[in-house]
Amino acid sequence: MIRELVKGLGTTLRYMFKRPVTVQYPEVKRPVRERFRGRHELKRFANGQERCIGCALCAAACPADAILVIPAENDPANPRSPGERYAAVYEINMLRCIFCGYCEDACPTNAIVLEHQYELSFYDRRAAIYTKEMLLVPPDKGHGEPPPILQQLNRQPSPPAKIDL
Amino acid sequence: MSDVTLTIDGVQVTVPAGTNIVDAARQAGIAIPVFCYHPRLKPVGMCRMCLVQVGTPKVDPATRQPVLDANGQPVIAMMPKLQTACTTPVSPGMVVKTTTEEVRFAQRGILEFLLTSHPLDCPVCDKGGECPLQNLTMGWGPAVSRFDYNDKVHFEKPVKLGDLIYLDRERCILCGRCVRFQDEIADDPVLGFDNRGRNWMIISKSDPPFNSKFSGNTTDICPVGALTSSDFRFKARVWELQSKPVVCTLCPVGCNLTLDMRHDRLMRVMPRENAAVNDIWICDKGRYGHRFIEAPDRLTTPLVRRNGKLVPVSWDEALEVVADQLTLIRARHGGQALAGLAGPQLSNEDLYLFQKLLRELGSENIDTGIGGPAALPPDEIGGWLAPGPNTDLSKLGSGTVVLVIGADPEEEAPLYMLRLRGIAQRGGKLVVAGLRPTKLERSATQVVRYRPEGELAFVQGLLKAALEHSSRTATLERLAGWKELRAALERVSLNNLATACGLTVDGLNQLAKDFLTASQSLIVYGWEARSAGPALTEALAALMLLSGRTGTANNGIIALLPGGNSRGAIEMGVRPDAGPGYTPRKQRGLDANGIWDAAREGKVRAIWLAGVDPAAKLPVARAALEAAEFVIVQDLFLTASAEYADVVLPTASVAEREGTYTNAERRVQRSRQACAPVGESRPDWQIVAAVAQALAMVPIGGGRNGPIPVTTEAWSYMVAADVGNEIAAQVPGYAGITYAALAATGTGGSWGRQFDDAIYYDGTSYTNTEGVGLVLPALASKGTVNLTFTGKVTRFADERPMLLLEQVLAYDGDRHLRGSKLQSLIPRGYAAISADDAAKLNIHSGDRVRLISAAGEMVIPARVLADVPNGIILLPAGLADVMAAEIETGPRTRVNLAKVVTE
Ligand code: SF4
Ligand code: SF4
Ligand code: SF4
Ligand code: FES
Repeated sequence: MIRELVKGLGTTLRYMFKRPVTVQYPEVKRPVRERFRGRHELKRFANGQERCIGCALCAAACPADAILVIPAENDPANPRSPGERYAAVYEINMLRCIFCGYCEDACPTNAIVLEHQYELSFYDRRAAIYTKEMLLVPPDKGHGEPPPILQQLNRQPSPPAKIDL
Repeated sequence: MSDVTLTIDGVQVTVPAGTNIVDAARQAGIAIPVFCYHPRLKPVGMCRMCLVQVGTPKVDPATRQPVLDANGQPVIAMMPKLQTACTTPVSPGMVVKTTTEEVRFAQRGILEFLLTSHPLDCPVCDKGGECPLQNLTMGWGPAVSRFDYNDKVHFEKPVKLGDLIYLDRERCILCGRCVRFQDEIADDPVLGFDNRGRNWMIISKSDPPFNSKFSGNTTDICPVGALTSSDFRFKARVWELQSKPVVCTLCPVGCNLTLDMRHDRLMRVMPRENAAVNDIWICDKGRYGHRFIEAPDRLTTPLVRRNGKLVPVSWDEALEVVADQLTLIRARHGGQALAGLAGPQLSNEDLYLFQKLLRELGSENIDTGIGGPAALPPDEIGGWLAPGPNTDLSKLGSGTVVLVIGADPEEEAPLYMLRLRGIAQRGGKLVVAGLRPTKLERSATQVVRYRPEGELAFVQGLLKAALEHSSRTATLERLAGWKELRAALERVSLNNLATACGLTVDGLNQLAKDFLTASQSLIVYGWEARSAGPALTEALAALMLLSGRTGTANNGIIALLPGGNSRGAIEMGVRPDAGPGYTPRKQRGLDANGIWDAAREGKVRAIWLAGVDPAAKLPVARAALEAAEFVIVQDLFLTASAEYADVVLPTASVAEREGTYTNAERRVQRSRQACAPVGESRPDWQIVAAVAQALAMVPIGGGRNGPIPVTTEAWSYMVAADVGNEIAAQVPGYAGITYAALAATGTGGSWGRQFDDAIYYDGTSYTNTEGVGLVLPALASKGTVNLTFTGKVTRFADERPMLLLEQVLAYDGDRHLRGSKLQSLIPRGYAAISADDAAKLNIHSGDRVRLISAAGEMVIPARVLADVPNGIILLPAGLADVMAAEIETGPRTRVNLAKVVTE
């Protein structure tokens, strides 16, 4: 009996001097892989215009029916996105989303991208619905490049996405 | 026509001679891709998408016999080049190949060319998802383009063709479907091609642009997203829509509609195929005019007047007030102190229960509409002599005679214009008679234009001539007043009648003979004819009866009355003189005008307005509502009449409820619920039933009228179908018209919808899954026509030089058009006068003129129109700012016209 006790404590003692494999989340955050699919972001073009043109193809592709897009017509004098149409409402229900990334694949302008943020917890269901304001990146975070995944696959984006390439 | 057998891709098909290869292939289940071809339009062979290989049996020139090969099979001589399947008619023994490499090569090439300048903006295009160009490119097109993406031709986009239609010239593939629809079907040739080469484009030739009441249909048939509807612009993607079948209640045609909903919100209105009613078309009023459903000012809760103010209350409270007040007034003053008016857009269920309750309470004061000087008694003729079951105007052609008298179908019932025009195009005889030119006239085979004095002469002349050719007077002899009419006809000579209407005796004789000997004869009359007085329509009824075919399919009278369910209102007994099914009542109640008078005299104390707004139009009604003790307004909106209401009850719109509607041909059609009622609003029939239930609960007795004869059990209808069943059981003529029977009436055509195999007609129309409706068995066929010939003509209060006629407009001040894109097309009030009359008084369009009649006077801007006959003033009384009642003395009024000179 004593022997077992000593053996057990010995194991404990041995591990006290080893490097721990766990990280102290949330103080320490593990990096994720480049292709990790976390919370979505709605991207912008380099000139600050929204990439999303309100086509709702992401909503059509979504197997979980998590996305709602209500489009509207751009004011030609002050367009929010290139072309005639933009998303007046863009919502993703993070409780429904299964992070499959189909929306990203479907998007003709590479507007919706699953990024690396994975901290998604909510106190109520309503809060799980991310609105366009929450999803849209700040105006200075625009870019003109297709996302890395498309570059890797050597695929060309569809024509509307080429607008500022 | 004889049938032709041919082989398409090895499949033998037999089709009627004259069919083109595309349609023949479709019958064999083989899809030949097309762009410019459309089965409702003449083939033009513009796009070359339908290229196929065609061969015909080789014929020996010497013997004229087919050459046979070693196996005894005919040798097929293939044509050296590919043929357009849409313009090539089938011939016996023809062999068609649609899938050979040669054909595929051509198809890929055509699509590659069509896409050279296509902007490829499907993600933002409203057509995306039901676009033939998308479908055909996926099915038949090349995977890649060899053209440079940066070399596309760009146009400014979009171009607004009027307020309803947007044109995107980059997307247009120049198939000409839109141009041909406007030319061939709508008879508004307002679109055309402009320029050439890569700048070839569609333009609108009219001012205002795209001036047509049928423009929306071009967005359906456009095979790309070049023409889109402003009403659906960027509202939703088509695959997100749920299609709900309803019936249009904006005019008496009763077009079948699809309300495309997303999340219970109306996104767009589309036609639903019904060959016998609207085919695959609807007018712009139906397509754009349904925004009232979602108007922000819809009533959402019941309101009760407390201390002079209408305050929101619960249904229970409102119903209690209604029940208490009705009981009290009935107890004190009797059932005759109650009166009710219902609107002609309510469903049969609403109307039936409305009159049932009022009659149970002892009131016969029930009418449709609002009355006013121009009000006419309920039109019985269009009911008794309506065309019989299996009527289908889309099948009529040669052998048909249609007499359109005093009607402007384009304005009164737009789709009828297309239907009647179609009859003429298929070889029927279309006689259009009237006081003034109408658009339908352009399609007529014969136009009769008479002066106001001549219209009765024309109809009587026809009748007199017909009497000489027909001996089928047995039914007529039994009708009251026929002897007098006949005697009157005998007193005048045909010659005099012919002179009076500007025709020759031979002309009248010929027309009468044609009418009687045709295989089908129809009479269509509208407001202008009715306003002449009953004598005119009665003579038409007699003419119809003389044909001896009344009540059979495609033979009868179609009366164009205002409102979508005006025929239903008459048949449901919402009228003072007869109950449901034209059954005369022992005691006649007051009509609308009678109600206004009686209310001011204190004889009518409670007025129930269901879907009518008399206060907006009639000063007498305002006074009457003011005088009445208790006014119930049941409506979608807080109307002008609601200002006088003690209780306002919110009703559900046509999209928010089920119901059946009877159209001008007496076709009963079922409309489904598309979305939840706004707020606490309820269908009208439910409100009436709830009032009845509340009445049954009132504890006090009924005074000298005895207790309220309404019981809770008799008035417990759960669903609209329960009322429908009662109508089927109780209303003469409606036997068997149950909801189930209506739904089981087939799919109304062979069109197919977006997910069907007919992908190249995508986006054009929607399959009718809810039945095409049933035409009621003719009342007249039993030989019991119950018409009276009164011989009355419209009288005038005094003689004045000008004749004032009301003009019905499709886009008028109807509150159902509020919030729609049509608003900008609704004109401001005007009085239309002829150029000659205008010249005499030095009046120009826009000048203010004074119209003076025996009843009063009005000042209104003049509009000088070339097609108004001299001596006639047209007044669009339906416009919100035209208070016709101020000067009218009857359905027609004699007035003085003077120019208002300022300073
Ligand atoms: S990641 Fe997948 S489930 Fe989540 S929104 Fe996109 S398509 Fe829908
Ligand atoms: S607008 Fe549409 S229907 Fe008209 S020609 Fe162009 S593609 Fe054809
Ligand atoms: S023709 Fe009449 S019923 Fe048909 S859509 Fe137009 S308004 Fe509605
Ligand atoms: S040429 Fe036949 S469909 Fe256009």
